[in-house]
Amino acid sequence: MTSALELKEKGNQLFKEGDYNGAEDYYSQAILRNPREPTFFTNRALTRIRLSKWAGVETDARSAIALIGAQSPSSLKSFWYLTQALLGLQRPKEAYELAINAYRTSLDAKSPQTENLSRTVLRAKQQIWAAKESARLREMNETLAYVEGLVEGELARGVEELRRRREGGEIGHVGFLEDERALMEEGERNVGNVREAFRLASGGEVKERIVPDYLVDGITFEIMHDPVMTPGGTSFDRVGISKYVEQAGVDPITRVKMTLDDLRPNYALKAACEEFLDQNGWAVDW
Amino acid sequence: MFATKRLSKELLKMQDHVPPGISIVKSDNLEEWHMDIQVLDSNPLYQNQIYRLKFTFNSKYPIEPPEVQFIELPSTSETPRPIPIHPHIYSNGIICLDLLSSAGWSPVQTVESVCMSIQSMLTANSRNERPPGDSDFVSYNRRRPRDINFYYDDDDV
Repeated sequence: MTSALELKEKGNQLFKEGDYNGAEDYYSQAILRNPREPTFFTNRALTRIRLSKWAGVETDARSAIALIGAQSPSSLKSFWYLTQALLGLQRPKEAYELAINAYRTSLDAKSPQTENLSRTVLRAKQQIWAAKESARLREMNETLAYVEGLVEGELARGVEELRRRREGGEIGHVGFLEDERALMEEGERNVGNVREAFRLASGGEVKERIVPDYLVDGITFEIMHDPVMTPGGTSFDRVGISKYVEQAGVDPITRVKMTLDDLRPNYALKAACEEFLDQNGWAVDW
Repeated sequence: MFATKRLSKELLKMQDHVPPGISIVKSDNLEEWHMDIQVLDSNPLYQNQIYRLKFTFNSKYPIEPPEVQFIELPSTSETPRPIPIHPHIYSNGIICLDLLSSAGWSPVQTVESVCMSIQSMLTANSRNERPPGDSDFVSYNRRRPRDINFYYDDDDV
């Protein structure tokens, strides 16, 4: 009889080869043998992320966190998986709450997950904004809501059709995912075009999408979500500047010696970034 | 790491606008870019001549500096690109510039700002000579530029 660990090894092997369905299967068997081992759950969660099986990722990540202990820094990776799942399941508010807490823990623990969690915080904010923006636009214009409803209906029918073909064995899971993604992208494009057309027709002022330079981090070139200030007075997002200061030990502008302890949070700038993101979720992709 | 995202943003910005005398030749991947630069004033050493720079990035960019050197295209080619004469530029294209060393690099520098620094390094020069020990350096050096300890002693050049 194969042991749980051997099953996991087989799963890892298939994962490396890109056979995610096969890997998932082995991890599931390993879990049946030993449901107390957190790595079986984390490995299966990562596999399911590759397969976009978000509900499964959520349960696996939660199981792993329960086994490891939510307070332990070792659970940060599972928290990251969990937030991915919640974003996949279109539950950005939950994802945001978890990600921002995990980000703070990760900073204190100097965990390598900090960078990932920092990005997830931004992603979650973007998704929250997108949902609000859709609601706002539709409220403004009933016709737009109607046309968007048509596009979404067509998309849902397309996905349903794909599902039927998958269940009938006409296409595999990977083919299904590819086609589904293509449909989604087409749907997003159509909605984008429709909105653009309505915006132009409404004669409303054309707002150019530009993030002001003072909100952009000089190292990563992304909008900041956790700005900190150097003794020289320049602000950067924490993730990038920490990497540089750890390595170089100097302020990147003045070249005066400094350490990580010299970084101070810049709350006013943080508030400015947050306010901007609340109204301009697109800035995350900018 | 954030190298790819940062580089694609630099590229977007430069496609929109580049400073005079600088142009992108090749930036189809995020590991190696080629840039052409030109000195805009009437310095007789470099007048009417275009030079080609090669930027090589690793995944730690911009925490670590890019590797930057001149590359040569022969005078018979359609776009000849010599190596400029300068007391801090070896004849194999390696540039001795504090900004490009691990110690002198700052992550707020960009491809654009590096090009501009090299432009001004040429503009300000009036000595028609190679660095001391150029021929030895060119024959014997096998190290990568950023691992070489240059002496930045004559800051007035």
